[in-house]
Amino acid sequence: MFARLILISWRNVIRNKRRTMITGIAIGVGLAAMMFSDALFTGMSILMVETTTDTWMGHAQIHREGFLETARISYTIEDPARIQSMLEADSLVVASTGRLISPASLQSPLEMKPVTLLGVNSITDYKVSMLKNATDTGSYLSGDSMEVIIGFKLAEDMNLALGDVAVITAATADSGFSARLFRVSGICKFGSDQYDRYTVFVNIASAGSLLGLTGEFHEIAIRFSDPATAMDPALPFWSTFSVNGNTVEGWPVLAPQISSMIDMANVSLGIQAAILFGLVLFGIINSLFMSVYERMYEFGVMKAVGTSKRAVVTMVLLEAFWLGVAGSVTGALIGLGVIEYFASAGICFGEVDFSGIMFDKPIFTIAEWSRIWIYPVSILLFTTLAGIYPGIHAGNLNPSEAMRKSL
Amino acid sequence: MNTDGENTGTNRNRVIVTRDLKKTYHDNGAPVEAIRGIDFTLTEGEFTAIIGPSGSGKTTFLNLVAGLDSPTEGEVELSGKLISTMNGKELSNYRRDNIGFIFQAYNLFPVLTVGENIEYIMLLQGIHKRERHERVMEILQQVELQYYADRLPSKLSGGQQQRVAVARAMVSRPKLIIADEPTANLDSKTSGDLLDMMKRLNEETGMTFLFSTHDEIVMKRARKVVTIRDGLLFKTAESTL
Repeated sequence: MFARLILISWRNVIRNKRRTMITGIAIGVGLAAMMFSDALFTGMSILMVETTTDTWMGHAQIHREGFLETARISYTIEDPARIQSMLEADSLVVASTGRLISPASLQSPLEMKPVTLLGVNSITDYKVSMLKNATDTGSYLSGDSMEVIIGFKLAEDMNLALGDVAVITAATADSGFSARLFRVSGICKFGSDQYDRYTVFVNIASAGSLLGLTGEFHEIAIRFSDPATAMDPALPFWSTFSVNGNTVEGWPVLAPQISSMIDMANVSLGIQAAILFGLVLFGIINSLFMSVYERMYEFGVMKAVGTSKRAVVTMVLLEAFWLGVAGSVTGALIGLGVIEYFASAGICFGEVDFSGIMFDKPIFTIAEWSRIWIYPVSILLFTTLAGIYPGIHAGNLNPSEAMRKSL
Repeated sequence: MNTDGENTGTNRNRVIVTRDLKKTYHDNGAPVEAIRGIDFTLTEGEFTAIIGPSGSGKTTFLNLVAGLDSPTEGEVELSGKLISTMNGKELSNYRRDNIGFIFQAYNLFPVLTVGENIEYIMLLQGIHKRERHERVMEILQQVELQYYADRLPSKLSGGQQQRVAVARAMVSRPKLIIADEPTANLDSKTSGDLLDMMKRLNEETGMTFLFSTHDEIVMKRARKVVTIRDGLLFKTAESTL
């Protein structure tokens, strides 16, 4: 009997082709919009994370406990050499680089500005950050003890050009002051004030010498082979390196504003999906009720000849299911087509400086298969469930009343 | 109240017995007494027509005796079982197994072919596929539509559709066939042919036929004609044919 109900329901659905087509397209367009939103959100999230981690942060960082809160110069990483060799041996890690960080002042013959001094390892840092790529004038650090890279806005503010000299003054680890002369070897452009106006980059040996912290690091930035590693707090990696007064944290902790924004976008996507599914639910209920009322006499005859309530309900549910199939297939095809197009064309939203990071690249839609399939399947499920109410209504019809009503 | 029909069921099994049957509808709050107390008996093998003007209560009466509607008062006994004692599912199963319906507007399922329409009730009864097929082909031959099994009802004439409806009603071999104005939408020639066919099937199979009509052609062919007027059984006349 079930097989026959499948056949009858299918034929009932294709009986009114125009209505089925309109309903299918309505479901499909909603579904396609949902899939596109998801892919756009996925692309945006990945771009945000990549931009955040690639600019400077890396996927994770090791610090001495309390350093991020206090920025104390004396809070250097315990046993840095052992940690570096452990990181090199760790299969999750593709690159790591040690850094020194300190507040300082940069003085030119005409101006003096407060800056953040970043001592970087020129050989390893470019594998984690975009400093090398951002240095668009002059040259990247070569290891020379006098070279300094400054941002283009800082160069403008202080009227500094390539080859000019400037003095960096900073507090030392032993509570003294130290100053050194540097020569501008490169000018960088990150696209954000934090790096273009308030930061100077020198070789780590020079920074160590200036701060009295030779061979020490305030920070080790890490790049994983899989960026998702940073989002898995259950990995032993975190406990392995969070020992002896050191602490390792992934980008979701280091850049909470980014992860909050992603969470917020997730919630809004969920709300959007709930609204869409609600609309689909009521649209299908309406469509099925119209169909039930049109066929009142038929249902009356079905009931009169002994068709059970369960069979009638099943038939209407199957009709809803077929509508869901039509809508899901249509929506999936439209959705995947649009996603595919914008996956290569991208959507440009202009330049946005968010939390010190410049987001200026186009967003490319990304269909994440582990979640994109949920939308058509959910639509199919919701559409089928939408058949319950009209199905029960049809199943409860009194045969004689049903036949009388439609006359 | 009339009891004219009760005398006929002495030697044969009673298929339908109604006692003081009443049905009141409410039309915009105003009560309408469609059936006002009918005692009626239909015995096995009868070919009986219920006649009466429009609005006399024919269809309501048929709905009540078929268990499609419940009476306001009185009782209906189908093959010795009181309808009022059956729940919805039992009644549905009872109709499926014991009553065949022929409706005024053919009422075949438009999405099913002729063969599938006829097969439908047997499918509900859980009859095996092979037997279903054999019975469909057999009944189609009896109604002379053996070459139309795969056609959709919309491709048939009104007379052919009503013959399919007759075949559908009879194929499950019910005790009783109820037909509500089966010739209402047919021309007189087709009506006559259909009635001849139904009468022949009644004689061959012994199935009981009860139909409502105000068609002269039907009345002439019925063995017994029961007249309903204003919701009451008015007169019963038996034919010698």
